[in-house]
Amino acid sequence: MEYKKALYEWIYILPALTTLVILFIFPLFFNFWISFQEKLLGKEAVFVGLKNYIKVFNSPILYISLLNTFIYAFTAVFFKTLIGLSVALFLNMKFRGRGFLRGLAILPWALPMYVICVLFWLNYDAKGTFNNLLRLFGLKPIHWLGLDYAMPSVILINVWHGWPFFFMGILAGLQAVPIELYESAEIDGASSFRKFIHITLPFIKPVILTVALLSLMWTMGDFTTIYMMTSGGPVDKTLTIPMASFQIAFFREVDIPLAAAYTIVILPIYIILIFITLKQMV
Amino acid sequence: MSKEYRKIKTKLMIIIAAILLILWITIPLYWAFKTSISYPEEAWNPGLPTKVTFENYIQLFNPYPFAKRYAIGAEAALPQPVIVPIKNSFIVAIIAATISTIMGMFAGYNLARFHYKGKRLAMYYILFTYIFPTFMLAIPLMIILKQIGLLNTLQGLIFVHLAYTLPYSILMLRSYFMEIPIELEESALIDGCTRSSSFLRITLPLSAPGLVTSFVFAFTLSWNDLLFALILLSSTELYTLPLEMNFFLWGGEIVDPIGLSTVAVFTGIIPVILYMVLQKYIIIGLVRGALKR
Repeated sequence: MEYKKALYEWIYILPALTTLVILFIFPLFFNFWISFQEKLLGKEAVFVGLKNYIKVFNSPILYISLLNTFIYAFTAVFFKTLIGLSVALFLNMKFRGRGFLRGLAILPWALPMYVICVLFWLNYDAKGTFNNLLRLFGLKPIHWLGLDYAMPSVILINVWHGWPFFFMGILAGLQAVPIELYESAEIDGASSFRKFIHITLPFIKPVILTVALLSLMWTMGDFTTIYMMTSGGPVDKTLTIPMASFQIAFFREVDIPLAAAYTIVILPIYIILIFITLKQMV
Repeated sequence: MSKEYRKIKTKLMIIIAAILLILWITIPLYWAFKTSISYPEEAWNPGLPTKVTFENYIQLFNPYPFAKRYAIGAEAALPQPVIVPIKNSFIVAIIAATISTIMGMFAGYNLARFHYKGKRLAMYYILFTYIFPTFMLAIPLMIILKQIGLLNTLQGLIFVHLAYTLPYSILMLRSYFMEIPIELEESALIDGCTRSSSFLRITLPLSAPGLVTSFVFAFTLSWNDLLFALILLSSTELYTLPLEMNFFLWGGEIVDPIGLSTVAVFTGIIPVILYMVLQKYIIIGLVRGALKR
């Protein structure tokens, strides 16, 4: 009976768990196994030990792409938090048209990333909107995806797409703050700034932290934006970790085991971050 | 007097903030939309279009639309009709979303209702897959699919898309089932229902909005995928929309702004419509799925 009950309960979750093991755990171990091999064209793969890892650590690409990934992710998350928090505070106020603005605010998040990239391609073009705006204000047009501005330009796209996620999370957090706290603070004559610092902020801090950590993980792993806009260029200016491993596998060295070793090397960073995020979430 | 003054000041600040927010969101969107309803000779003109056409959207469903219009190159070297990737994207996203909603429904029910040893571990694992950056799976999954003969097939792509969609579906549906009072099921059990039939007859109909939200969310996640499509598909007749759109950007020069913006607006509008219809549920589902255990 006990056994039958256990089986019955497990049967509900088994298909999903099996699928997720095949899609996550199995590939991770498989990747590990590939990373110790060398596969030459037309030949069988052979075990070469740590050869790929030595190559990875001696390659400047590793350090360039790590640095780029951190610049990309941390800057983007910083601005997404800032914009998401401001808009959430703004749309938590009571006024007419708030519902419409809330609907509009999730629009960037609803659009697929590659569609947004296409939109920004049209905007970044020499004859595009952004340069037209600059001309309108009497400024010189910018080569948006050129050497100097490529990184800020891809960060702008990520921020534009990702801030509604912060907005939605923080808004939900704001709605959970008990009104009584504000009322008693008002009796004490607290200014709105003090109310924000002493009541609102402590309440929404865990939400902001969770959302920021999740977003940090996803931004570090963001492939679509970089691939569509710059493919890591110009001159590796926007080469992040996902883009670099893709390029090593299919364009630069065309060496899949090397690319596998590459992702294994950065796995510890992810594991630590995932661990922190999980602790924050559960 | 000063109170009146403050009221006006607040109102003015709200208006300014609202305008800034609207501009921030609509400026990048406006240009693409404007281009997609322009005639070719106005494609790059700034400002409002003088003449408007919806012909470009109708052309999406004709073979070789943009190439014919511009008469560039031989037909053999031209992109396929845009309807082919549209169809592929729909097939992949609908099947992936259906599978993930069904699996997520059972798994979510399990996590919301049953108590057993190892449940905590299962929950941690699902959260892990929810957070894990999927780009790391691309290369090993490509090799695995190659060995089982599913590389360059839509079936393979559908299966791999479950990596995006399934964790979301499970977490989202779990929180929906937890909202439904367990007493309803218990009273059905007393009336002689089995556990399964009380789930099917009581809980499932009540969680219909959750199921729809999960489907829509999974659909858009699959619809949004570029990475796996790029690595797994090589035949052009299997291309999904992101790959097709990449074709327009080949070499980094926009040859056909109208074609590009039309496909982009069409592709973007599908998830947007779904989100707008289900806006209330999406926000609830997303925030709960992401933030609560």
